[in-house]
Amino acid sequence: MIGRRLLLTLLLGLASLRSFAEPGQALPRVVSLNPSLTAILLALDASPALVGIDDWSARTHPQLAALPRVGGLFNPSLEGILALEPDLVVWVPSAQQRNLQQRLEALDVEVLTLDNITLPQLLDSIERLGARVQREREARERVRAIRAAWTREERRAARGPHPRTVLVLQRDPLFVVGGGSFLDAMLRAAGAENAAADFGEAYPRVGVEWLIAAAPQLIIDAAEGPERARGHWSRWPSLPAVASGRVVTVPADLVTLPGPQLDRAVALLGRVVRGEDVGMAP
Amino acid sequence: MRVLSPRRVALTLAALTGLLLATGLVGTVAGPSALSVPDVISALIGDDGGPASDIVLRVRLPRVLLAALVGASLAVAGVLFQALLRNPLADPFVLGVSGGAAVGGIAALSLGSALGWGYAAVPPAAFAGAVVTTVVLYAVASQDGRVSGTHLLLTGVVFNAFASATIVFLASLAGLTEGASIFLWLIGSLSAARADVAGWVALFLVAGLATALPAARNLNLLALGEESARQLGVDVGRQQRLLLVATSLMVGAAVAVAGLVGFVGLIIPHLLRLALGPDHRLLLPASALGGAAFLVACDTAARTLLGGRELPVGALTALAGGPLFLFLLRRQHRRVFAP
Repeated sequence: MIGRRLLLTLLLGLASLRSFAEPGQALPRVVSLNPSLTAILLALDASPALVGIDDWSARTHPQLAALPRVGGLFNPSLEGILALEPDLVVWVPSAQQRNLQQRLEALDVEVLTLDNITLPQLLDSIERLGARVQREREARERVRAIRAAWTREERRAARGPHPRTVLVLQRDPLFVVGGGSFLDAMLRAAGAENAAADFGEAYPRVGVEWLIAAAPQLIIDAAEGPERARGHWSRWPSLPAVASGRVVTVPADLVTLPGPQLDRAVALLGRVVRGEDVGMAP
Repeated sequence: MRVLSPRRVALTLAALTGLLLATGLVGTVAGPSALSVPDVISALIGDDGGPASDIVLRVRLPRVLLAALVGASLAVAGVLFQALLRNPLADPFVLGVSGGAAVGGIAALSLGSALGWGYAAVPPAAFAGAVVTTVVLYAVASQDGRVSGTHLLLTGVVFNAFASATIVFLASLAGLTEGASIFLWLIGSLSAARADVAGWVALFLVAGLATALPAARNLNLLALGEESARQLGVDVGRQQRLLLVATSLMVGAAVAVAGLVGFVGLIIPHLLRLALGPDHRLLLPASALGGAAFLVACDTAARTLLGGRELPVGALTALAGGPLFLFLLRRQHRRVFAP
């Protein structure tokens, strides 16, 4: 019963996508294998071009639940992708997928590989993706909006406080934002001093001992399960951020997704760093 | 075989206790943050709730304690499985108990986020997995109240294969963050160590040792073969059942807390057997102390070597233990077969 309904939704979803895509515009048929690229396509109003997504994109973007899925981040299905007759497959490079790229290209499917570690890479990805789906103008505007928000926050931060900050991606085991990534750049733009910036790695796994010794004045917690953040951090009362009540949870899909929403993300981080109430203390 | 005099037992165990205390001391003093020795001492004497006390009392000490307990449990389990199954390749994970624990723990990791559980659900789920596996294993492998070593070993191997398939299945469904957690958990790590779980590991270690030490002489006889042991008056079936359950629970508790820390249960027993001889009356307590010291040393290295970054201790035990073991094996080979 459920299976049949799902099938129906799927077919209807496909049909509606076709009707958008077909008349003359010749939008390319795009399969996205990464949630951040899927988010960019959505933000550029290019969802009619999407004909398939990976499982993680489907989880991050429930509004796309009707689209066919072609597997997970690490195990996309070659056959599933081919069955959708895509003109373009977009993804973020990873070791597991290199082989798949060669096989897709051997079958004459264009593959667009977009890095998303640093801010310039990300802005470049938005513009290149926009150009491929006939959304150049939207892409330019999005990039301009992110740059403008960035500059605005940097200007404000120049006057404001610069608390020693740790941006937590996962609590147990502990992963934080190190140096070199767009998140590190965003922390700096928002006025924070990233206590983990000296780690050469973008997202290092660190020990609790390092965290205690780093003595952050502000902990921004973007880990899963924000309702568990208070209980977790109260175990370490000697952390200055815990002692002064400056542990703030932020939604991961807004802040840590390397996507098109970074203007809102940097604005939120700016408010958190300046100590404004963002209604998210755990 | 060298004679096992009380003096030799006492001296050996005293030396190993000294080694354990020394590694424990280094583990308490060393860490990625630059605490001086006086800082550490004052934190040990009085808890002022400051960063130094947090680091020493709530980060380093629980890890040293837990590493010692897990290391001891795995090494003792290795000795027991090798003796009971009369197979030198047996390790604590051979019977599939670890596989069962891993399935339980990883199910909690990958489904836990959907159900809103935290990481805290992992140890109980892993232990439940180990208990269920133990029960199933005996139901499958025992006949008329007796278990045959070969039968049990085969059942364990098959169960482990089944468990790894389940883990791969769960991992392939998991998202990026759960995927990373599963990977790290499979390597084994003490980074999430909390003092409150140490009591459970200690309980099963003590129970395991209390079951195994009185049986040490019977284990020596079992090395002659099941039939010979039976002729010499050992109730083989009962002995096996008791020890296998005690050992399985001990492994389950260790895996539940630390994940799959490999090599300790294989290397430490063999290493000590090479150094001390095969008598279980000495080998069992010596393995407990040696395994504890080895894992404390490895874990201290795991959290110190890369500054503030953490290495998974399971990778270090294999990296450090493998070559050391091969070196000793080769030396022993030369000594025995020297012209």
